[in-house]
Amino acid sequence: MPQLTYLEAIRQGIWEEMERDRTVFCLGEDIGVYGGAFKVTDGFIDHFGAERVIDTPIAEAAIVGAAFGASLTGMRPVAEFQFMDFIGCAFNQIVNMVAKAHYRWSAPAPLVLRGPSGGNVHGGPFHSQNPEAWFVHAPGLKVVCPASPYDAKGLMKASIRDNNPVIFFEHKYLYRRIKEEVPSDEYLVPLGRARLARPGRDLSIITYAAMVYVALEAADLLAREGIDIEVLDLRTLAPLDREAIVRTVKRTNKVLLVHEDVRTGGIAGEISAIINEEAFEDLDGPVLRVTAQDSPVPFSPPQEDYFLPKVSDVVREARRLKAY
Amino acid sequence: MANKSKKATDPSASSRPAGAPQPTATSERRYTIQDYRLEKPCFTLKQVQEGDRVLYRCEGDLSGPPPPLRDSQFLSPAELIEIYRWMLLNRRMEMALENLYKQGMVVGGVYFGLGQEACSCASAYALEDDDWIGPMIRNQGALLVRGFAARDIMMQYMAKASSPTQGRDASSHMGDHLRRNVVAPISTLGDLIPVLSGVALGARLQGRNVAAMTYIGDGGQSTGVTYEGINFAAVETLGLVLIVENNLWGYSTPADMQFRVQDLAERAIGYGIPGVIVDGTDACQVYDAAHEACARARRGQGPTLIEAKMMRMKGHAIHDAAAYVPEPLLEYWRKRDPILRLERYLLGRRWLTEEENERLIADVERQLEVDRDFAVAAPMPEPESAAGGVYCEGCHEVKPRYGVPQMSVTKSVLTTALRQVVVERK
Repeated sequence: MPQLTYLEAIRQGIWEEMERDRTVFCLGEDIGVYGGAFKVTDGFIDHFGAERVIDTPIAEAAIVGAAFGASLTGMRPVAEFQFMDFIGCAFNQIVNMVAKAHYRWSAPAPLVLRGPSGGNVHGGPFHSQNPEAWFVHAPGLKVVCPASPYDAKGLMKASIRDNNPVIFFEHKYLYRRIKEEVPSDEYLVPLGRARLARPGRDLSIITYAAMVYVALEAADLLAREGIDIEVLDLRTLAPLDREAIVRTVKRTNKVLLVHEDVRTGGIAGEISAIINEEAFEDLDGPVLRVTAQDSPVPFSPPQEDYFLPKVSDVVREARRLKAY
Repeated sequence: MANKSKKATDPSASSRPAGAPQPTATSERRYTIQDYRLEKPCFTLKQVQEGDRVLYRCEGDLSGPPPPLRDSQFLSPAELIEIYRWMLLNRRMEMALENLYKQGMVVGGVYFGLGQEACSCASAYALEDDDWIGPMIRNQGALLVRGFAARDIMMQYMAKASSPTQGRDASSHMGDHLRRNVVAPISTLGDLIPVLSGVALGARLQGRNVAAMTYIGDGGQSTGVTYEGINFAAVETLGLVLIVENNLWGYSTPADMQFRVQDLAERAIGYGIPGVIVDGTDACQVYDAAHEACARARRGQGPTLIEAKMMRMKGHAIHDAAAYVPEPLLEYWRKRDPILRLERYLLGRRWLTEEENERLIADVERQLEVDRDFAVAAPMPEPESAAGGVYCEGCHEVKPRYGVPQMSVTKSVLTTALRQVVVERK
């Protein structure tokens, strides 16, 4: 099996779907000749042609609107946001036009809105955000946040084939840092199913995207202390794999929720409520959270480091919870 | 740097070589806006203080008689009569809705296209079956032309179970992406413009150029997404047909407080696309301009912006008495009623006799009565029907509407072919 980076896996996922299905096309800013700000679509325009790899004006609302319009004629657009921070420019199109279409007038909207999110690359307040929770709160959207190359590819292919609007958050810190063997045979990773990244008995960490690696590193450290950590990688936030969440709670009885998104209104609050509603009797301690602080993402490296959840934060909270 | 210091000490000094031609005045570029109108109303609406009140005053000459209709270059008498019928149905359906509202049978408000029927109906009439439309709130006439029945719109206003959105949305917010090619509007303004551009893009990727029509008002055109949507269509040469309905009022704010250009059609110059002005109360002008714009779109020549000038003859919605509208302005536009003028035109040409006209009106009334009774009798939805349908869970098959897109780059086909060869050899 070939070793693929997270970025190459995403790229391959889109490429294969474009080869397989002629209704799939890409649009976005600088995605053609330049190949995208992070080069996810590098070489696409040469291979698939300018008709299917469209360099657009800098107009996020138009990109989403046009993608939706094209999807109404039976196309499957894959639209890139240069940074997911800029998705705010298209917020109305996404939550009011696209997300409500099927409920209101039975119009499926098979489009993928993808792009880099997340911090730890010193991008500052407008190139580092994790805005996934905004969209989890808009019924009608699917929200995908892969952590591994295998998942990124399989989820991308499944997202493109999905008949619903999918917001695909790629973590830019992982783009070239994470590499793993990915099968060359075709496979899909279904939306809405979590992945057990590490089995354990003492305590569950429920997380996603780049924080999966922070959780795994913390688990390795804690294993030396005899604390056996289970790590559940959610993979998609909408739909959320409630069964997997409840399953892990029942197994370990203690839960630590970790996300890079800011604390208030983040998905951790929702998961905590689900656990309260569906697995309260199984809890042997409070549901704790490790998240970014409630502030914009600061630019300067020491400040960003302070802002982001770290392995040491996870270790500290896990110890506290284990001792509870 | 000597030159710079010289300039600083002697502003009249020039580094131009002696004998070179002196620069003349800046060059001038001219752009044309095609104006179909036979009358160019000239008035302004200003916010003024009168005593202890601030109100709107209309200044200008409002004394002229209404102009005749412009003869259509394209419409046959039968087609124009058909448009007239749609306009009648549009108006009388809204009158029926007003009555239903007064009887407490409408949920929420009622929005009217009074005075704008020619614009809604004649523009939509220019579309062919494969074309698309995204109506706005006052384009209920366009919905009728596109094949929704009056009962559909009535049931939608009454939030009935069998309304086009099964009770889930109100007013003109209905769509049909499978048969009628109608994109359901949302309440925020300008958002349909990139969507209709995208429809044209999707069709083009499938090898078809279609006309994708939508509307925006003098108020709605202030939004940013309006700019993004038109510019996208312009850059991508997409068949957007944008009808800018300048009805003088954005809710209670006059058009003069929305923009500084003389005519909204001038916006087209900034987008690099054709801009056209029509009298929005003249069905022939609206049709001809829309017809040409649609033909242009189908030829793959890109978008057109058509400004239709008219007046919203009722408030923003039924709750709004529109006391802010100066009476002389209403009087002026009442004389330019689109249906009255078209009726006179058809009778004057003897394309329609008095008897035929009466029969046509009676027929429309009869149809509306049937539809009203049907809509009134239709049941409300079960509460539980609010659940489900948020996602498409296999209920729809997504397939290209105009045919499978062809690859223009042979390389891609080759790669696939080579792979197939490899697989077959295995």
